[in-house]
Amino acid sequence: MISGARQGSPAGLRRLFAAAMARDLRAFVVPGAEVARARGLDVEAAGLGMTGVPRHASVLLVVGELPAALRRAAAVVYAQMMRPRAVLAAGAGDLSPLPGADVSVGLSQEELEEGVARLRTAFARGAFAPGAAGFEPEMLRARTEYACPMHPEVVQDEPGACPKCGMELVSREAADGGSGPHHGGDHGGANGDHGHGGHGHGGMGFMSMVEMTKDLPRSSDGLPMEWVEAPFGPLFPGLPGGLFLKLTLDGDTVAEASPSACGWASPGPLTGPADALAERLAGIDPLSPASYRVLALRAVEDAAGAGADERTARARAGALERERAASHLGWLSGFAYLIGHRWLARRAAELQLAVLRAEPAGMPGLRAAARSLARRIERTPLLARRLEGIGALPGGTGASGPVARAAGVRTDARCGEGAYRALGFEPVVREGGDALARLRVRLAEIEESLGLAAAAGSLDIPAPRTATGASGAGAATVETPRGTATLRVALSDGEVVSAELEGPSARHLALVGRVAEQRELADALVGVASLDLSPWETAR
Amino acid sequence: MSALAVLAALLAGAYLVAVLEGWSATGRLRPAGPAVSAAALLGRESVVPRRPDRVLFEAAPLLLLVSAVLAAAVLPLSPRLVVADLATGALFVNAALAYVMVALLMAGWGPDAAYAMVAGWRFLGQLLGYSMPIVMAIAAIAMRAESLRNTEVVASQAALPNALYQPVGFAVFFLAAMCLAFLPPFDLPTAPGELAGGVEAEYAGARLAVMRLGRMVLVVALSAAVTVFYLGGWLGPALPPWAWSAIKTLAVAAAMLLAGRYVPRLREAQVLAWWWKLGIPLALLNIFWVGVVLLVAE
Amino acid sequence: MSAQALFTGFFGVAAVWFGVVVFRTSSMVRSALALLFSQAAIGAMFLAMQAEFLGVLQVMMMATEMSIMAIFMVMYMMDPGGLGEMEMTHQKRASIAAGALAALAAAGVAALTDWGPAAAAPPAAEQTERLGAEMLGRSMLIFETAGVTILTAMIAATAVAIERRRRR
Repeated sequence: MISGARQGSPAGLRRLFAAAMARDLRAFVVPGAEVARARGLDVEAAGLGMTGVPRHASVLLVVGELPAALRRAAAVVYAQMMRPRAVLAAGAGDLSPLPGADVSVGLSQEELEEGVARLRTAFARGAFAPGAAGFEPEMLRARTEYACPMHPEVVQDEPGACPKCGMELVSREAADGGSGPHHGGDHGGANGDHGHGGHGHGGMGFMSMVEMTKDLPRSSDGLPMEWVEAPFGPLFPGLPGGLFLKLTLDGDTVAEASPSACGWASPGPLTGPADALAERLAGIDPLSPASYRVLALRAVEDAAGAGADERTARARAGALERERAASHLGWLSGFAYLIGHRWLARRAAELQLAVLRAEPAGMPGLRAAARSLARRIERTPLLARRLEGIGALPGGTGASGPVARAAGVRTDARCGEGAYRALGFEPVVREGGDALARLRVRLAEIEESLGLAAAAGSLDIPAPRTATGASGAGAATVETPRGTATLRVALSDGEVVSAELEGPSARHLALVGRVAEQRELADALVGVASLDLSPWETAR
Repeated sequence: MSALAVLAALLAGAYLVAVLEGWSATGRLRPAGPAVSAAALLGRESVVPRRPDRVLFEAAPLLLLVSAVLAAAVLPLSPRLVVADLATGALFVNAALAYVMVALLMAGWGPDAAYAMVAGWRFLGQLLGYSMPIVMAIAAIAMRAESLRNTEVVASQAALPNALYQPVGFAVFFLAAMCLAFLPPFDLPTAPGELAGGVEAEYAGARLAVMRLGRMVLVVALSAAVTVFYLGGWLGPALPPWAWSAIKTLAVAAAMLLAGRYVPRLREAQVLAWWWKLGIPLALLNIFWVGVVLLVAE
Repeated sequence: MSAQALFTGFFGVAAVWFGVVVFRTSSMVRSALALLFSQAAIGAMFLAMQAEFLGVLQVMMMATEMSIMAIFMVMYMMDPGGLGEMEMTHQKRASIAAGALAALAAAGVAALTDWGPAAAAPPAAEQTERLGAEMLGRSMLIFETAGVTILTAMIAATAVAIERRRRR
């Protein structure tokens, strides 16, 4: 019996349904398809169809270890899935409050495919079971309270009439303050929260439409409408997994946007033996592990007073550039999915997996493929119109990485590194500062990175010299695919005594408000996606 | 008897279009795909969201299916294979398809969820764009046929199909049909990336199966409408008439499904601007053009 | 003949029933959609009375019109879902009086007028042709005036609603 079996005895017609369901598995990927791809997993090739709608999914695919907040959000998604449903865990550890994984595999494509085969047999046999139980974790139980639709501040625990206007109080779920902003999952499940922006009227006499709406703040399209709070995330299919975006919609214009990210718990990975710092930092961000590994290695070397030789620096540059190309391709695939360009989403995902699995000899071929992809994108009809002027940010907002370079700011941490200068590196800068410019910057960077990786000749980070017994303080900066990251460490006898990590996404999170507010919903989401946020590299 | 044959053909057409859609989405041709998916959907439980508008929630998928079937009922496969050859057939197609809008509005409002609601209203915005040009295109067709009866519309194309006679009207109707069926790139109501499924998001199980079936039948009905109005319906050498209808309908459906893969979704403001500033003037020009040609060719 | 009377009566009753639902429900969207189906029932009545073009036209127009009315209701009404069970009716006495009076007047006109013998309806294609000839002949002035007036109103409303834009 699978964990989410449906009540009923598996006889007759139901067996047919179960067999059909086993052949037509659809997976909802947690924390997101981009994380699965970044770890080298090709979900569709393994036989699972992908869907972004929990109610249409039959399998919850968990990739990698999840922080507690995301596990709770995943439990909400699981509760929304229709039975029969199952959990497939790939390299995930403890899954509570989700039920235990029905099939558990490691983080490799072969194991995933074998796991899917096992899942199919489990479905065919166990989709219907007489003793199936529901899924009701404590956190999902809702308390009912009664509120006045016109005066949201009037709240009571029993039904009755509003003391201010006499209207009947309407029941709704109480917002559970304990589990923080991740309650409510990624669907409008706990919706019904119609906040009214201040109606000023007296008495219950006849109210004309004009009177009723005259005090509402006007949104940018000039239409005063009712304000609805809609949560987008933390497992929203169009945005990076782990990013929680609470939007207040005025009709279909975004009136307010407040983002928050799942992040890593400070100072957790930073403390401990210096030799293992690289491993710990690489575990923070599944989307760009190599960058953080290199950052840790360089910071420790700087603190120990030892430098890296030229060969190591070149190899590290090769690894960094390979990851940059893969990360940008992964972003491109998710972005194309958001704007509804299905062909591009598939092609970019294919290329990303090819880059992640490539040998140094294959780099020139991939570079040619990336160049033809970029040319084809430029020729796509309507794409420029779709993206022009969306998510515009002027230069000098404190951004870094492609976001800054798309606004004409020539800032790149790689300019100051010897290995890059030897490889002939030039930063890619464009004007415009909008989503289209960012797309162009990243496309050009993909091509450039593949060329640099080919020139560097090696794509794996060589093993570092051991740092036992080292002491001192040092700092290092690395240009991650999303921007500049800085690490300052102080070592004492081979142990990290104090450390400070600054990633680019924290500053970019602060820009979400400027990008999204007063924009139509789709444009706001496109703007947020064009910032290429990684919710993992912000400190909680 | 012929009515049953047409309905059976409609169902077969819907199945083939579903296979085509699966192929265009995943790149793999799975002939048994829709049957397996349908069986899988029927086996899943179906829940009703909290505090829905129950009547609207339940009625929406049914209304979508019914309006698509009604529209297909007046479109002929061959001179004798038509469920009801109404004298106002061409207009009736549009009348039936107007209820697709009502169905999506119900589906958007019914579940009491933010994504569905935004999706439902977005479709209304799309409707404001395409609803005038589609009727104007039909008017131009009726002008040439001097009748609204669908069989006569096809017969009037014996010399030259309307796609060549009124190419502007053909383009306008084809694009308006894609908007009506909310196929990509006009899929604002179900935007997978932006609205996590939109109007379809809260449906599951048997209701979702009805909704998907309704959507497929709608695509078939619109393809059949394009075939009857612009491609000469059953006219063609060598093969029997119903074979020509079937081939043309499937070709149009394939074109509609493939067109959207290579283009990003249009913004709602863009859709409206283009329809009103470009689409309606072109449709009016088309009517004028057809009128001139008819008078000159007399 | 009797089947026709049956269907006409059925659709008439449906139209009245949906009309009552419009005012009995407190959900704005349901109200708009009930009005839609009421008008569609009237269109079906036309079809039952063999006025094919008019019936199809009525059914088609009402779908679009009422949907747009639904969005206006959602935009401007405070509680479009009808969840608050607010008292939605105003000026009860005056409206009941006006409604009763109008109903009496309509029934009176329907019953007391000499409508003449009911002619058999001409075939549908001929009806369309005659309607077209009428609109472009005797009634052309009426329809053209109405059309231009509506167009002017549309343009004026749009012009008033647009904010003045600075030229770039």
